[in-house]
Amino acid sequence: MEDLFGSFGALLASTIRNATPLIFAALGGMFSERSGVVNIGLEGLMLIAAFAGVVGAFISGSALVGLGFGLAAGLLFALIHALMCITFEADQIISGTAINLLALFGTGFVMVLIFGGGGTSPRVSGFKEVAIPLLSDIPLIGPALFNQSVLVYLMYALIPITWFVVYRTPFGLRLRATGEVPEAVDTAGVSVARMRYYGVALSGLLAAFGGVYLSMGILSAFTENMTIGRGFIALAALIFGRWNPIGAAGAALLFGFGLAVTFQAPQEALPLEFIQMIPYILTVVALAGFGGRAIAPAAIGRPYRKE
Amino acid sequence: MSEDRPTRDPGGEASRPPAFRRLLGDAASALVFPLIAILISFVFGAIIMLLTGYDPIAAYGALFRGAFGSPLALGRTLLGATPLIFTGLAVAVAFRAGLFNIGGEGQFYIGSITAAVAGVYLGSLGVVGMVLALAACVLTGFLWGAIPGALKAYRGAHEVITTIMLNFVAILLATYLALNPFRSEGLVPGTEAIDLTARIPFIGLGLGRANYGFVFGLVAAVLVYLLLWRTKRGFEIRAVGLSPGAASYAGMGIGVNTVLALAIGGALAALGGGIEVLGVYGKMSIPFVTGLGFTGIGVALLGRNHPVGVVLGAVLFGGLAAGAQEMQFSTDVPLQLANVVGAIILLLVTATKLVELVVGKRARALASGTHLERGLGQ
Repeated sequence: MEDLFGSFGALLASTIRNATPLIFAALGGMFSERSGVVNIGLEGLMLIAAFAGVVGAFISGSALVGLGFGLAAGLLFALIHALMCITFEADQIISGTAINLLALFGTGFVMVLIFGGGGTSPRVSGFKEVAIPLLSDIPLIGPALFNQSVLVYLMYALIPITWFVVYRTPFGLRLRATGEVPEAVDTAGVSVARMRYYGVALSGLLAAFGGVYLSMGILSAFTENMTIGRGFIALAALIFGRWNPIGAAGAALLFGFGLAVTFQAPQEALPLEFIQMIPYILTVVALAGFGGRAIAPAAIGRPYRKE
Repeated sequence: MSEDRPTRDPGGEASRPPAFRRLLGDAASALVFPLIAILISFVFGAIIMLLTGYDPIAAYGALFRGAFGSPLALGRTLLGATPLIFTGLAVAVAFRAGLFNIGGEGQFYIGSITAAVAGVYLGSLGVVGMVLALAACVLTGFLWGAIPGALKAYRGAHEVITTIMLNFVAILLATYLALNPFRSEGLVPGTEAIDLTARIPFIGLGLGRANYGFVFGLVAAVLVYLLLWRTKRGFEIRAVGLSPGAASYAGMGIGVNTVLALAIGGALAALGGGIEVLGVYGKMSIPFVTGLGFTGIGVALLGRNHPVGVVLGAVLFGGLAAGAQEMQFSTDVPLQLANVVGAIILLLVTATKLVELVVGKRARALASGTHLERGLGQ
C-alpha cells in the first residue's frame, strides 16, 4: 500500500508539473482566439519565453529577472503576430506558423551567439518548490499539489480568474463579442483592433509563463526545441475544452496526465508513442463532432475591415 | 489571374489583352508581392547581422555562392529544393480547392516510413522496387490525406486544426514503426538501409549528390498543372475553391472534391518523403529530418499556389539551406540566420497591408492567390 500511495503521489505531482505549461498556454490561446485571432504560434511563444527566461537568469543570476525577460519576449513575439494579423491583415495561420519557425530558429541562432553552441544552455537559478504550510501536509495529495513552484500556484489562481474575466467583466464580454460578431462591437464604438491586440498580447504573456515554467520550473536550463509540441497540445486542450477556461484547464490536466504516464509507465504496457497520440486524436474527434461538437468563435481567422 | 480571386472581379476576363501578353503581365504582377516580402526579409536579416556584429554583405555573398556559385553548390540547392517542391505542391493543390493543408509535415513522415519499409522489402528488385516503393508512398499519403478531407467534407471539422493534429499522430506513428517493428539491428535507431540498386540515382553533371528526385519534382509540378488546369476534375476542384455555392449549383460534388484535393495533397507530400528516403538517406533514422512540411507552406504561398511558383519557391528555400553552410563556413554567421530569414519571409508573405505601404493600393490585387476569404469558425 505504501508503494501504491507513493507512486500515486509521484504521478499526481508529475501530472501537475506537466499540465502547468499546457494550462498557461491554453488559457493564453483562449484570450487570443476568443478575440478572433487564431494562435497556432503558442508553441513558438512558449519556446522564445523559455529561452529568454534562461538568458535573463543567466545574465542577472536572478530567477525573477529571468521571468521578466521571458514575459517580455513572449509579449514581443505575440505583438509581432498581432501586428501581422490585425494591422497588416496577414493570414493568421501563416503568421502563427512563421512565429513558431522564427522562435525555433531564432533561439538556435542566439544560442550560438550567447552560449557558443546549440544543444543545452548552462544551468541557471530557477523557481524552486515552495511547500505551503498545512496544505502540503494533507496525506496523499498535499505534497503533490502544494509542494510546487510559485508558478504552479499562480496557475491555480489563474483558472478561476480567467473564467471570471471572460464571463463576468465588461472586458470579457467585449472580447467574446469581438470574436463572434466584430461588426456589433464596432457599432458599439469599441475598437475591434484594440480588443484583438489585447487578446493576442495576453496570449503572449500567459504562454510565456508556461515557457518560463518549462525551462526554469521543471528544469533549470534551456534545450533547443524544448517545447517539443507542447504548444500544440495546449492548442488541442483549448479546442477540446471548447474555448472555455475551465474546460481548457481540465483538458490540459488530462493531457498533462498523459505526459506524466509516458514518463513513468513501462514501455511494454502500451508503446509511449500511442499514449502521446491521445491528445491529438481526441481533438480531431471533438472537432468532428463525435460526442458534442467543438465550435470555434464565429469570426475567428478573419481580418476585420471597417466598411 | 482571375482564377486567383475567390470573391472579387468575376467578370474581369473580358477586358484582358491577348493571351501571351496576359501571361507575362500576370507573371510579373505575381512576382511583385513575393519579391517585396523576400527583399524586406533580407533587410531584416542584414539588420540582425549588423546588431550582432557580422558583415551582412560578406555573409549574403557567401550565402549566394553557397547556393548558386558552382555546379556543386547548385546541386546542394536542388537537393534541398526537391522535398520542398512536393510539400509545396501539397499545400497548393488543397489551396486551389479553398483548403489549407497544414498537414504536409505528417504526410511527409507517412511517405518516409512507407518508402523506408517498402524499400527494405522490395530493394532486391532494384529500379522496379524503387518505383513500387514510391507508388506505395503515393497510396499511403493519399489515404492519410483523405482523412482530414473526409472529416471536413462530411463532419465539418476544420482542416487546419485536424491536419495540424494529424501531423503529430503521423510523426509518432512513423517513429513507433521505425523504432519497433521495423527497427534495424544496427546501432543507429531507425530502419534497415535500403539496397543501393533501389535508391534514386544521382543526376551527375558535376551536381554532386543531387538526384533525379528533383526531376521527379518537376514532373510532379507539370502533372499538377495539367490536373488543375487541363482536366474536368481539376476544373471542379478549382471551382469548389472559388465558389462552393456556384460549384454545388452546377452539380459538382463539394464533398468529393474536398476529399480529393486533400488526398492528392497528402499523396504529393508523402511522395516527397519517399523520395527523400530513397534519394538521400537510404533509410529512416530517428530523429528524422523535420520542418520540410512547414517550409512547404512558405514555398506554396511564395509561389502563389501555382506549380511554377512552387518550383521557384522551393529553389529559393533550398538555396537558403544550401548557402547557409557556406555562409557559416566562410563568415562565421551561424547558419540558423538563413532559417530566420526564411521564417521572416513566411511571416511577411501574406501581409497585404505591409506591401500596400510599399506599392500602394495595388497590393490587394497583388495579394491574390494567398488569401482564403473565410475564417475558421463554422
